[in-house]
Amino acid sequence: MPKIIIDGQTVECRSGIPVLQAALEAGLAVPHYCYHPGLSVVASCRLCLMEMKMRDPKTGQMDWAPKLFPSCQTPVRDGLEVRFCSDPVRDNQQHVMEYYLLNHPLDCPVCDKAGECYLQDYTEASGPATSRMVEDKTKNPKKDIGPHTLLYQDRCVLCSRCVRFCDEITGSGELAVVGRGSRCEIDVLPGQPLQNPLQGNVVDLCPVGALLDKDFLFKQRVWLLRSARSVSPADSRGQTIWIDYNEAGIHRIRPRYNEKVNEWWITDEARFGWKHVHRRDRLRQPRIRQGTALQPARWEELPALLRTWFSQPSPTVPNPIAAILSPMLTCEEAWLLAKFARSLAPQATLVLGHVPTVGQDQTYPKGFTIKAEKCPNRRGVETILQHLGGPTASFQEFLGQAVEGRFRAAYVTGGYPNAWVMDPIATALAKIPFLVVHDLFPSALDAVAAVQIPGSAWAEREGTFMNCDGLLQPFERALPPLEGVKADGQFFSELLGQPGLFRARTVRETMAAELPQFSEVFIPRDLPKHAH
Amino acid sequence: MPFERVLMRHVGVPNSTSLAVYKADDGYAGAARALKMTPDDLVEFVKKANLRGRGGAGFPAGVKWTFLPKDRTVTYLCVNADESEPPTFCNRVLIDSDPHMLLEGVLIAAYATRTTVAYIYMRGEFCAQFHILQRALDEAYAAGYFGRNILGSGYSLECYIHRGAGAYVCGEETGLIESLEGKRGWPRIKPPFPAIEGLFRKPTVVNNVETLACLPHILTRGVDWWLSIGTANSKGPKMYCISGPVNRPGCYEAPLGLSCRELIYGADFGGGMCDGKKVKAVFPGGLSMGALRGDMFPKPPDGKVDPRQDHDELDCILDFDDVRKYDLLGLGTAAAVVIPEDADLRDTLLNVTRFYSQESCGQCTQCREGTAWMQKIAERIRAGAGRPVDLDIIVEATRNMGMMPGLSICGLPDGAAWPIRTLIQKFRREFEQRIAAQAPGAAESLIRRTNAAAYELPVLHGRAVQPVGGTYATPVDVAPPP
Repeated sequence: MPKIIIDGQTVECRSGIPVLQAALEAGLAVPHYCYHPGLSVVASCRLCLMEMKMRDPKTGQMDWAPKLFPSCQTPVRDGLEVRFCSDPVRDNQQHVMEYYLLNHPLDCPVCDKAGECYLQDYTEASGPATSRMVEDKTKNPKKDIGPHTLLYQDRCVLCSRCVRFCDEITGSGELAVVGRGSRCEIDVLPGQPLQNPLQGNVVDLCPVGALLDKDFLFKQRVWLLRSARSVSPADSRGQTIWIDYNEAGIHRIRPRYNEKVNEWWITDEARFGWKHVHRRDRLRQPRIRQGTALQPARWEELPALLRTWFSQPSPTVPNPIAAILSPMLTCEEAWLLAKFARSLAPQATLVLGHVPTVGQDQTYPKGFTIKAEKCPNRRGVETILQHLGGPTASFQEFLGQAVEGRFRAAYVTGGYPNAWVMDPIATALAKIPFLVVHDLFPSALDAVAAVQIPGSAWAEREGTFMNCDGLLQPFERALPPLEGVKADGQFFSELLGQPGLFRARTVRETMAAELPQFSEVFIPRDLPKHAH
Repeated sequence: MPFERVLMRHVGVPNSTSLAVYKADDGYAGAARALKMTPDDLVEFVKKANLRGRGGAGFPAGVKWTFLPKDRTVTYLCVNADESEPPTFCNRVLIDSDPHMLLEGVLIAAYATRTTVAYIYMRGEFCAQFHILQRALDEAYAAGYFGRNILGSGYSLECYIHRGAGAYVCGEETGLIESLEGKRGWPRIKPPFPAIEGLFRKPTVVNNVETLACLPHILTRGVDWWLSIGTANSKGPKMYCISGPVNRPGCYEAPLGLSCRELIYGADFGGGMCDGKKVKAVFPGGLSMGALRGDMFPKPPDGKVDPRQDHDELDCILDFDDVRKYDLLGLGTAAAVVIPEDADLRDTLLNVTRFYSQESCGQCTQCREGTAWMQKIAERIRAGAGRPVDLDIIVEATRNMGMMPGLSICGLPDGAAWPIRTLIQKFRREFEQRIAAQAPGAAESLIRRTNAAAYELPVLHGRAVQPVGGTYATPVDVAPPP
């Protein structure tokens, strides 16, 4: 661990990192644009320059060198002494900030980035109050560069982060800098738009309002948003995300740094995979079949009804009860539901629900992987099933047995963002006399369910997902469940007769007593406050 | 003893680009001698001659070669034939008249650095020169000076000519390397320096055409001959270019140490000014090195050099050291362009700023935005709407760019700052007179027309139109416009 001196204070830092990173990790607000720890260093924004002590070749004494050095390009080494709080450094910052705004249109009132823009922040912190340029501004064009992205070149600071992202992380290289001098532009080749499964990240990478997400364009001012720490249900890797929401619902999803899983990036599936939460046709009320139709019911009726059905032994079939634990459930919910089924019928068959997969795993040059398995918690449910033991079955086996009419009652959980009830599933489940369907959307099961329970989406719940590598990651609730809907965990804990509110943490602690895997969750490091 | 031209000995000789003519004049004898030495001895030999690079910086070529790591397996030699410094055309003359001299130099330098592949990076606009050099290279290959087992020495060298696409910044060595690799010619951050990690991330030497062309002569005529030419620290012959309204514009060879006055007025060189005009200004080392005052100004009374005084500076000796006394960046390419007494320096300023604003690669903020801003200001001054404070802003901008204060990746902004700053500082009186002679209110009305916001915004109170020069610290209270 090398020790360096920044502004007179000794800072211990990881070896091999640039001074800028060390300063940011020490909590210093060093302005920078082009530096990003996940990308190569280009040292072109010239904003993070610092003073450094060097040996004077004439006197042999260590003294401040008469020039500035880019802190992003200077690796830390023991005993290095640098400073950011000095006149030449501030002077340079002031000049660079003036330069950045020379041709900037200053259209913050209509810019999506306003409020989280580093041109605003750095100008406020270290820029001059007025511009001395009285000439006409160079007006660079606005461009549509891809299905999800707009480029407002007039706001661009040419940090080239987006270009490096497409070259280094995705390896697709759609973006390039064209032109010279102040006529430099970021652009795509004709007919080859920015279109790759990680494209949304360029918008997060952009320190200013040049790259904009069409999905979020003009939707909300960012200071009206709150952020919840969440984990994406889009694939089994468990990418950590921020859900930016307010009382009107979710507005966007941003990556949350995670050193073990997704680092700074997320896939577009995760980024845009929240639309189902606000679908109009979400189920909103529990319903019980009376005659041929499902009739609205009250939540209070359900526990007694379910207990009656699930605890009646069958005279003919040995184990007539099944609970299908969807991989969209959190570990806590799966645990409660399994416990419920087993408490009434100790030999109930526990089944891991349908695991959706799409194509193959995709791995990118620097190791970012998009999993083919599009559910967040298969591993967690499997761990619980293994621990509980007793009769279990795979989803296919369960369907086979169901077709034979082996089950009298089953509790099926869904919660998938996309339609999942295909014909074979519907036919098999139709054979179950008392079928409880707990799902988000109407499906073919509506015709055969005895009880239909509305589920809540992942953004409306809290709990933990265990990712494909066995990493247990907790997430917070962003939104309340829809009006008239109980969160899944709350309902399961009421089924078990537990009093009070469902708290994922409390449930997890009970689980940990039996299952040590659940005693510790992984919470990624927070990024330094002034890093971006 | 009259000076014998070596670099330009074949200018005007018929068929001089052919191998036969070159060989008749001791051609490839230097290379043959070099191939009998060990590479390390050859490096020592060149170091002894103190051959300083002709590309502009004047760094000793032999010393540059010793920076290569000892345990390298692959080395590349890049020849910088991207001669794009304004008024410079000596490499062009050299390739036009004597391409084999360059090729022999390439062979010697490649052998000294144990290079197996050499690339000649040629300016895109050099069309005829490319064909001349390519023909010469084919001839040299056929004669066994390139390819496998050169002259039976066991040494092999491949040489390729690559043509650039016409970017000034590709003459910067790392920009050249990037461009050669097929990328955008953006200079690289240093360290690592090219000697450690250059072309294709391998140790690389980049040398100028004229530097390499000197090598055959040092080898055939010896170090003593070389050291007998030139001034104390600047040895050897140099090709000087002169352009502008002189009687004999062109490229001339002379020992290093020619004075600027001699270059303009010498009968063997510029031959004096057209129509007996006086010199107002001269950029003696290519544009980037800065400007000197001409003989329109009085001679310094005590003979002392002081760039702050409005004195005749033509006595500047064009070698690697004396130029610094005159607040020039260096010798540069020793290509002088003369501005006559009746020229309007506002035109010159616009021309210079426009060039650097066009050629800035766009990587570093200060250079990208600063050069463009200076061009806009220069355009406005040229349009007769300048303000005295503009001169301060330009000078301030030039002080805030460049590699020397550590503010940029490459030296282009240094080269942009120097001519613009020296032009403003040395000729400030003329600029102020021109501005004073403008129509009253010209600046304000033009600003109002082109950028109304800067003029009208109440928050500025007209401050932007009449700001304090060079500082942000003390905003003055200017009464709001009525």
